[in-house]
Amino acid sequence: MARLIKTEKEVEGRYTEQWIVIEEDALDQWPEGPLNVVGQSVPRIDGLQRARGQAPYTADIQLPGMLHAAVLRSPHARARVEKLDLRTALAAPGVRAAIGPDDLEQLTDEPSYPGHPVAAVAADTFAQAQAALTQIELEWEVLEPLLDPDEAVRRGSTVSETDTYERGDYERGLAAADVVVEAEYRTQVVLHNSLETHQSICHWENDGLTVYISTQYIWGVRDAIAEKLELPPDKVRVVCEAMGGGFGSKNGPGDYTFIGAELARRTGRPVKCALTRREENQATGNRNATIQRLTAGARSDGTLTALGGDFVNAVGWTGWSPSTEGPMQLLYACENMRTVNHGAKLNSPPNAAFRAPGFVEGTFGLECLLDELAAKLDIDPLELRRRNYADSDRMDDRPFSSKNLAECYRRAEPHWERRDEVRARSEGPWKRGVGLASQVWYGGGGPPSYAWLRVGADGRAQVVTAMQDIGTGSRTAMAQIAAEELGLPVDRIEVSLGDSSRGPFASISAGSSTIPSMGPAVRAAAADAKRQILEIAAQRFHLEERVLDLKNGDIVSSDGGSWPLEEITGLLEDAQILGKGARGPNPTGMRVLTFGVQVAEVAVDTETGEVVVDKIVAIHDVGRVINSLGASSQVEGGIIQGIGHTLSENRILDPETGAVLTQTLDAYKLPTIADVPEIVTDLVDVPDPHLTNLGSKGLGEPPIIPTAAAIANAIRDATGADVRSLPITREEMLRALREAAERERHGAPAAV
Amino acid sequence: MELLRPSSAAEAAGALGNGSRALAGGTDLVPLLRDGLVHAETLVHLADAVPRGIDGTRIGAGTTLAELEVDPRTPQALRAACAQAASPQLRAMGTIGGNLLQATRCWYWRLDFPCYLHGGDRCHAKDGAHREHAIFGNAFCASAHPSDIAAALLALGASIRTTARELSLADLYRLPTEDDRDVTALAPDELILELEVPASETSVYLKAMDRRKWAFPLVGVAAARTGAEVRIALAGVAPIPWLLPTIDALDDATPLPGTAYKVEIARALVRRALAGLGASAR
Amino acid sequence: MNGGGYAVDAPVGRSLAQVLREDIGLTGTKLACGEGHCGACTVLVDGVPTLSCITLVHTVGEREVTTIEGLRDHPLVAAFVRADAVQCGFCTPGQIVSASALVEANPEPSKDEIRHAMAGNLCRCGTYPKIEEAISMVTETRSSSSRGALASKADVQPRPSQDA
Repeated sequence: MARLIKTEKEVEGRYTEQWIVIEEDALDQWPEGPLNVVGQSVPRIDGLQRARGQAPYTADIQLPGMLHAAVLRSPHARARVEKLDLRTALAAPGVRAAIGPDDLEQLTDEPSYPGHPVAAVAADTFAQAQAALTQIELEWEVLEPLLDPDEAVRRGSTVSETDTYERGDYERGLAAADVVVEAEYRTQVVLHNSLETHQSICHWENDGLTVYISTQYIWGVRDAIAEKLELPPDKVRVVCEAMGGGFGSKNGPGDYTFIGAELARRTGRPVKCALTRREENQATGNRNATIQRLTAGARSDGTLTALGGDFVNAVGWTGWSPSTEGPMQLLYACENMRTVNHGAKLNSPPNAAFRAPGFVEGTFGLECLLDELAAKLDIDPLELRRRNYADSDRMDDRPFSSKNLAECYRRAEPHWERRDEVRARSEGPWKRGVGLASQVWYGGGGPPSYAWLRVGADGRAQVVTAMQDIGTGSRTAMAQIAAEELGLPVDRIEVSLGDSSRGPFASISAGSSTIPSMGPAVRAAAADAKRQILEIAAQRFHLEERVLDLKNGDIVSSDGGSWPLEEITGLLEDAQILGKGARGPNPTGMRVLTFGVQVAEVAVDTETGEVVVDKIVAIHDVGRVINSLGASSQVEGGIIQGIGHTLSENRILDPETGAVLTQTLDAYKLPTIADVPEIVTDLVDVPDPHLTNLGSKGLGEPPIIPTAAAIANAIRDATGADVRSLPITREEMLRALREAAERERHGAPAAV
Repeated sequence: MELLRPSSAAEAAGALGNGSRALAGGTDLVPLLRDGLVHAETLVHLADAVPRGIDGTRIGAGTTLAELEVDPRTPQALRAACAQAASPQLRAMGTIGGNLLQATRCWYWRLDFPCYLHGGDRCHAKDGAHREHAIFGNAFCASAHPSDIAAALLALGASIRTTARELSLADLYRLPTEDDRDVTALAPDELILELEVPASETSVYLKAMDRRKWAFPLVGVAAARTGAEVRIALAGVAPIPWLLPTIDALDDATPLPGTAYKVEIARALVRRALAGLGASAR
Repeated sequence: MNGGGYAVDAPVGRSLAQVLREDIGLTGTKLACGEGHCGACTVLVDGVPTLSCITLVHTVGEREVTTIEGLRDHPLVAAFVRADAVQCGFCTPGQIVSASALVEANPEPSKDEIRHAMAGNLCRCGTYPKIEEAISMVTETRSSSSRGALASKADVQPRPSQDA
């Protein structure tokens, strides 16, 4: 029965209250451990298509008569458009339409960050559109930008109210401490750099709008466009069959889609608006920089008596202030806490969710602080974490639906115990060490999400749902879940996704939610189809339904009977069995979180500041694992992005004008294959007994969260140097080494 | 725009000047043309016009870095510099002649800020973001020369033969000044045809970069030794490839606030390079 | 191209990548940066891995161009799928093209040689470990590291031991 409830919905750590209709989740979880298909290592079912370059990315779609848009973006961080004349651009070769701030809400005459869209043209070719932009007559009044986040907070320039959280008595907790450490940590802006840039094609047809778009959320794009353009939502069709990476930056339609829609409306032709790499690295979002001023107090036995943090998120012109304080609030059983979150509004490009926004940054600060505290207390860092283990959620006094972090710690031990051996391999200027850091994050997903499943006469099944596979392998995971429930080999399952007009509502692919939100709906749909198949089989074979089951493509009975599935489905001829499934509710009164720990081994060249990550062991608890092969890829991908964040990636602004200086991929340094350490993935594959019919949580984000802190702690172990600022470039490493040498000479500064 | 494909060096030189540009691997020129940082009515494609390959101590200017990287006849420092330069595809496309003439990676210059090298009236890097910039020769322009190969060739004492003359590699480059903002002494209609790289007993190239491969040098150190004579040259430290008379000359560096770390790295790498040559630090 | 031939009418300045994708309709070759930094557009020109986004089509002339469409049945394609060296897949065709040139030139590449040859193909999803595995599946990976071209560097600069 459908039930209307008001519930908390969490995406990327942001909670909202909303009404949703849910259906009860009547299925029991499968028994623990690997099953026939689920939990096995299954290569992607669309891998061949992608590897051969045949997958239909938005970038590859060419519609008849399609025009190309180019966007004039402000080169200034803050300016006023004094004069704008589109007439010469309109007269340029190939140009079909040109629009400015008077024509569209998304175009501005008061640009407030570099890359802010001001005008746009549509032309027969992209080159013509770009050339026409240079013909636009434009005069600016350039204004002084606000770029310093502390200054912004002082001036009250923030994107939201300052958010203060307290529990217990922070001051008393500090006073009760035998040791207090204070430190300031900084993290930089990093850029998503999905290899397929943000882009869409807008095509007005059948008195509605069809949008082909590289997106993580087909339904979110549909609803946002319908609302803005005042269209009935079912007049907006959103299509994304393959997309080239998102990492959190592609959750909505973006300015470019509204620009494309308007140009398409004016020209009566489909319009593609595809961003260049340089536009991508200015105007499509970023992981915002942070300044974290942290304090930890502990008794001499290691019990944390107080944790405090003042967090400044350098959000940009718009966006939201991520929960950089989240790890501090959730990871340890500290009774006394005060955190303050400021979201600085600046004349810099808006942030966007980027793989565990806030928690990646906050974990760097918190987990480095814990190691600094451990050093002061002379307690083993792993032991310090165990002594402050949280058995329940201290924020709302709720039990965890499941938590196997202690098991993660246990599995980390043999890797952690290598540190004497690793340190002993230091030689000459190369110093070696080992560090670890814990991880906490959401990842439980939630309702609503729906799936259909069709079984045809040939005994093949098709999962139909309007979700998207952003490159994580969701399509394959859904096929495995359906195959497991139906007792079919995975190659007899198709998955039809990526089109809002060809399937029911499906979850966003963000916040590590695709598997925990969609997987249970797919399993429920398969179970529904299975029930119908067995009902029919029971009638056909004059047997009781309860003695029948589906296994390896056969209908089997408890007395040893076995019939190929097609024997029943074949009766249907062109008709099909249709199963329907919905995602049930999350467990009430419980906190659903993911956990983990990573152990890093590094080598540091103390003369040149080079840091080499030799090995990362990643141990995470994300409930039941659906595809062990795809899961290891997610872990490796998160760690490699984490290494980029830790060592080489940095969006650099010109301090005077605010211009983005690192727009290109020679200047903005993503990791290459040569930067990859040995990565050991170890997942605690235990279903969460309270979460859905699968017991699975999401894995997209957890692996990137502890990497930076584990590396920084390994660097401290190797060299004694405190690296508190990301990225740990040569100059930062050499600075920290100098500071450590200085401290050595003058004796350690006293603990506060 | 038109593209010519001359079949001889003389024909190519005749087609240069008057707003035309020589095109070899195109790895730098093609993006610069597209960005409007370089303008050309005519492209003169050099595939059939300049020598390619190694002949004794001579290297054809049209030889790609990838070819030099795998050729055992390539002097050690040059071979190491080629192997550590750019990416495999860029090495496969880019020629050694073109590599010597590549433009700076200074982000202000690449983004067309009105800096000295673009005919403007200031160096934006000095007051701005400059962690990748110069520690020597930066009084006027603080850009850093990105060629690993040029530093290696400078240490190896290479000279070049052009369509007009022969000159030492050191004379190919000069620091930009108020009056002449070019970093090379090549005339617009002059082509590099060949390099002459005298044999040295041993040579090395060491490089510090932001990731382990495929990055321009923060500091590149080339050193070559013949008998007691040692030559050291640096990449990424000045607007041009930089000859370092001795390791002590690093004391005379004039780093910007954000490039002081490069002096430290250079010192370590020069020491290692000299040790690698079996030469003392003095 | 891919064993056939094409006559192309294009203005000077048009890139090989544009001609492949827009004029001929071979969209397996991807454009991700458009300025020679990421490797997504890699094709073979006379067997040499080449960035088609910064190659002017007029300089290609009569040379043989091989794109991912010409390598559809290369053993590397199946190996990439089997090893899960495909996440979003946008860089994958370029990776396979680069890898095909590597295994052609060096049927037994070491891990370091794989990394050396593949460093110009960026993957934001982080499939790199699986790419190494996929290449190893079609080759006989030697366990010892190669010294070769990098010997002079490794000899004089102290490095972590497994990297020498």
